[in-house]
Amino acid sequence: MEQLHATADADALSARISALLDANRPAVARQLLSAMQRLAPPSPVISELAVRVAVGEGRPEQALEELDAGISQFPDCAALRRSRAEIRLGMDDRIGALADAAEAVVLDRNDPAAKALLGVLLLEHRRTKDALACLNEAAAADPANPAYCQYLAAAQEADGDIDAARATLATGTASAPTRVDLRNAAILLAIRHSDFVGACRLAEEARVAGVADACTFGLMGHALSSLGHHTDAANAYAEALKLGPEDPYVRHLVAAAGILPSEPRAPVDYLRAVFDGYAERFETHLIALGYRVPGLVRAALAQHPCITQGERLGPALDLGCGTGFVAVVLSDLPVAPLVGLDVSSRMLEVAAAKQLYAELHQADLMSFLKEDTRPWRLIVAADVLPYFGALADVLAAVHGSLEPGGWFIFSLEELLPDHQGVVPGGGEWALQRQGRYAHGIDYVTGAACHAGFVIRGLQRQTLRHEADAPVAGFLAVLERPAT
Amino acid sequence: MIADAALERLYAGDPASALAMLDAAAATDTLDPALLVATGIVQLANRCPERALPALRSAVALGETAPTTLLNLALAELQAGDAARAFQLMESLELHLPEWEETPLRLAEAFRAAERMQEAERAYGRVLDINPQRESALLGLAGLLLMRGEHETARELLLRCCGIAPHRADAWDTLGFALRATGDVSLAESAFARAHELAPHVLQYALHRVEAAHASGNEEGLLAWLDVAVQADPLNPVLSAARGIVLEHLGRPAEAADALEAATALAPEACLPACLLGEVLARSNRLKAAEVALRRGIELAPDNAELRNTLATVLFRMHRHAEARSELLTSLERNGERTNELCNLANVTACLGLQDEGVALARRAIELAPDAVLPRRALCSTLSYRDGTTGAELLAALRDSSDRLPREHPAAFANRPDPERPLVLGLLSGSLRVHPVGWLTVAGFETLDPAMFSVICLAQSAADDWIARRFRSLAREWHDVDTLGDAALAAKAHALGIDVLIDLGGYGESARMPACAYRMAPVQVKWVGMQNHSSGLAEMDWILTDRWETPPALAHLYSERLLSLPDGYVCYSPPPYAPDGAPLPASSQGYITFGCFNNLAKITPRVIATWSGILRRLPDSRLVLKAHQFADADTARRVLAEFATHGVHPARLELRGPSGHRTFIGQYNDIDIVLDPFPYSGGLTTCEALWMGVPTVTMPGETFASRHSVSHLSNAGLGDWVAADIAGYADLAVAKVSDIDALATLRSGLRARVKASPLCDAPRFGRILGAVLRYAWRDWCAGRRSVGRA
Repeated sequence: MEQLHATADADALSARISALLDANRPAVARQLLSAMQRLAPPSPVISELAVRVAVGEGRPEQALEELDAGISQFPDCAALRRSRAEIRLGMDDRIGALADAAEAVVLDRNDPAAKALLGVLLLEHRRTKDALACLNEAAAADPANPAYCQYLAAAQEADGDIDAARATLATGTASAPTRVDLRNAAILLAIRHSDFVGACRLAEEARVAGVADACTFGLMGHALSSLGHHTDAANAYAEALKLGPEDPYVRHLVAAAGILPSEPRAPVDYLRAVFDGYAERFETHLIALGYRVPGLVRAALAQHPCITQGERLGPALDLGCGTGFVAVVLSDLPVAPLVGLDVSSRMLEVAAAKQLYAELHQADLMSFLKEDTRPWRLIVAADVLPYFGALADVLAAVHGSLEPGGWFIFSLEELLPDHQGVVPGGGEWALQRQGRYAHGIDYVTGAACHAGFVIRGLQRQTLRHEADAPVAGFLAVLERPAT
Repeated sequence: MIADAALERLYAGDPASALAMLDAAAATDTLDPALLVATGIVQLANRCPERALPALRSAVALGETAPTTLLNLALAELQAGDAARAFQLMESLELHLPEWEETPLRLAEAFRAAERMQEAERAYGRVLDINPQRESALLGLAGLLLMRGEHETARELLLRCCGIAPHRADAWDTLGFALRATGDVSLAESAFARAHELAPHVLQYALHRVEAAHASGNEEGLLAWLDVAVQADPLNPVLSAARGIVLEHLGRPAEAADALEAATALAPEACLPACLLGEVLARSNRLKAAEVALRRGIELAPDNAELRNTLATVLFRMHRHAEARSELLTSLERNGERTNELCNLANVTACLGLQDEGVALARRAIELAPDAVLPRRALCSTLSYRDGTTGAELLAALRDSSDRLPREHPAAFANRPDPERPLVLGLLSGSLRVHPVGWLTVAGFETLDPAMFSVICLAQSAADDWIARRFRSLAREWHDVDTLGDAALAAKAHALGIDVLIDLGGYGESARMPACAYRMAPVQVKWVGMQNHSSGLAEMDWILTDRWETPPALAHLYSERLLSLPDGYVCYSPPPYAPDGAPLPASSQGYITFGCFNNLAKITPRVIATWSGILRRLPDSRLVLKAHQFADADTARRVLAEFATHGVHPARLELRGPSGHRTFIGQYNDIDIVLDPFPYSGGLTTCEALWMGVPTVTMPGETFASRHSVSHLSNAGLGDWVAADIAGYADLAVAKVSDIDALATLRSGLRARVKASPLCDAPRFGRILGAVLRYAWRDWCAGRRSVGRA
């Protein structure tokens, strides 16, 4: 029988480990690293390999330990310093990362990677001019490196020189035309500066060149949508979904365009993505749209016996509270304690700043209603149920969470006939192009009764204006019967 | 003195130095018997019997007739190839020295090497009569008894042997086999483990231990042990290799390959780890890496037939057909005809456009193994490409193949026979990825009503490309089934409660349709995936088709009932990276460029003759053929020569080899009209051509595979591109080029037309697919109710 014994060629083993790490195969690299550590004495090369293995396996703490040990043994090794800077940056230790990157540049002034890293860290520390200097040097030393190009463009953008950033990305794309990340960075730069036409042009160039990924098509969809080209935007989102089928945000938009069957509600991840991205300009945007729902809620609530008698009404739950619009309009009414709930942490940050809520929770409303056993006297959902198609589950959950006699006030958008006069969704509910659901009044009535509610009010209302046209909807006031 | 010193050096492990001493002494004294005997022994140890022989013969001639000298002479004769002389010498020696156990022992080993097993057994018996404790005889005899099924006796002998020589790893290893054969699975694992511990650098012992753990269900335990052992001794390649095999058994192929790659890196000169790595990578669909490992293995063991066959299949799967064929021919030449190699050779030969030869090879394989499924499957595959195969002939071959599958049906299904309830669909395939199956089915599944259908994927050789991720996103559950046998796979499908099982693999690459013979679900449906015709499988209830693929007149050529879709039977999902179409090349070039980007397997001699006729009628026209196979210069030359025999100069042809998919479809911008092959038409290829604005002239036949293009063209509103016979096909091609402006107009609007047609209308397709699957389900429910009433 043949006996198998290990090679004694440490150099060959080292080269194999490095190749495996380049191929993103840290597990097998680790096995060989253990062998290598038996075969050869400690060296900066082994330390670097050990760090790369730990990083590849997603164990930054282990990488940091290896680096601390390696640097104490080989303090003049610039590569180890640079690695530690990268690890510290990844672990949010920006001060330590900056110190290491600076030391790496001092130890090896010809290493563009160290300069680029230092530039990125300086940019994070808002030392834009210093960052620009470093990144210019790195990009000059290695002009074909697309990452340096992106970093430099980011620094130029931070410095307010958008044209320079655009030119840097254009130059980078010209020298590395197959790099989709550079193209996407350029499209994103255009979108960030509201140059949607430019973004569409860049995305189209990427598509024609065959260098477009899911992100490119998604950005194209966003730019087209911003220009009001909704059909083209839907097609772009559909292509994005083919290449990135895991993205719930894009999936919902594709379903909204009728290309995929619609789910009975918008995915939580979609809502989180939309409202996290929207939080900063949410209120100004809604005000500009003439958003009426909080006022309608207040008017409906003014009819509540407690309010008319001047008694406190609570506890009250504001589902999908967003930035706290409802809390603001109810702030002079005796509604307390008021608890807010939203899926978006960014929206909740704005809501918290208003200091009008006794509690704020970040959760999906269905999960919250299932887990929180408190009985509520009032539940409000302003512009929330338009993200649900089928209402049976959500109405049942709210009904179960209200105490007898409790009220549920919510808004819905009305399901209207399409341009051919056909009411979609069999007149019950349908997902609309904007990603929200609209409902037929008969369906809402039936669903409310089926859930056990008494309908105290269900009135057609204009909810807001879009493109100067009123958006039709309902304001519903339901009561859980006392017995 | 010199002779003794030389032998001492030999026994100390320094044969070179021993030989040098003896050579120096022989220079002065060539007639010293002791020196000659020592020279013979050293040369034997060096495996140089031809040098040992003259020395030993001279020693005997000089009167040195000690038993050991005579025995060494016999061994030298044996090793030098004169077995008769060797046996004569040993038998004579045994006769003179009947109490000396060494002679019958060597005789037994010689008999065994000569496959004279009964004589070997008797000789071992004589050794044990003289010395019942002789461990080599105990082990040798036990091995022979094991081979002829005397497991109990063998086990007793081996237990004695291990008691006498507990340090002998080979004895423990053989005991493991004896214990396994007598049903002591757990003890067998212990025996193999002991062998492995005693010889930790012998991979075979470790592999036997792994197999024993697999049989006893103790693989998790062994893996835990190996994890610790590898950490303690990371330089031992045996531990890494064994760990790799355990991991593969446990359904963790990526980690298995990692462990085996570590073993090959640690022992780069060893053959077995490279072979094991190559096989694991091949099974995991990591073909390029598999090729590297397998080639390394073949370099180290050029006569290993299995290895060469595996390499050929890997090359085949990478569309390197000519190289695959060369490997298979080498294997057949070195090792003789073997069924598996012949089957692979049949398929690869057909893929090189030699369809008749492929069919003949498949038939030869059937002669060698008439009851085996694989040769029958090779016949079905090659027949579908061959010119002149009728639907009835193909159906008969498919039935012959399917009837030989092992099968066992469950007593009853527990699925609730409610005709309107939400259904669980099971997708069974090795092609849920970038593959014709993916391109033509994924959009249909994505657009099924999620309230009425949930999908469970049963995936073989799972990939991680963007179409695979589309399947993963639409699926409620995803199960990798590579490690499950067919019966176990069927049992899993039952446990998952699958209502309708859709096979998307057929008998093709990574095929799991044979598991359908066990009945995986109450309703079984065949759809895309090596769907050259009917499945021929009695347990396949339905086949998804359409009125063009299977008009009523051809329904009798199917073993399944037809689920006939009103539009096309597939939904094409074009790639987002497809280049834009270009204007008609003929408009600027002044001549027509025909093209066919189909697999060379579809291009028969009659297709070449027909195309040549068209080219002769249009003297300025050109033909571009594009196929993986044209990367091979010999294949390209052969095809050009065949056209030349029909009067078409090679300058009018352009043969293009493989390219990336975007480049592939982009090359339709060079083509005015596609000429479809027959009898196996283009499927996905026709859809891609349409997407690029290029129509196809087609001629359907009887088989399913011959009618793909007519289905796709009809769905795109191009029914006027379909010919009824070969003369009509040629006339149609010639007629269509007569109006260049009409062609240019058609081309400029074709993508939009196709996009709006049922061929690409995914929401429409999803609704129809849901309706026909519901129909099949209701049919089963109705059957259950009528059974209940009866």
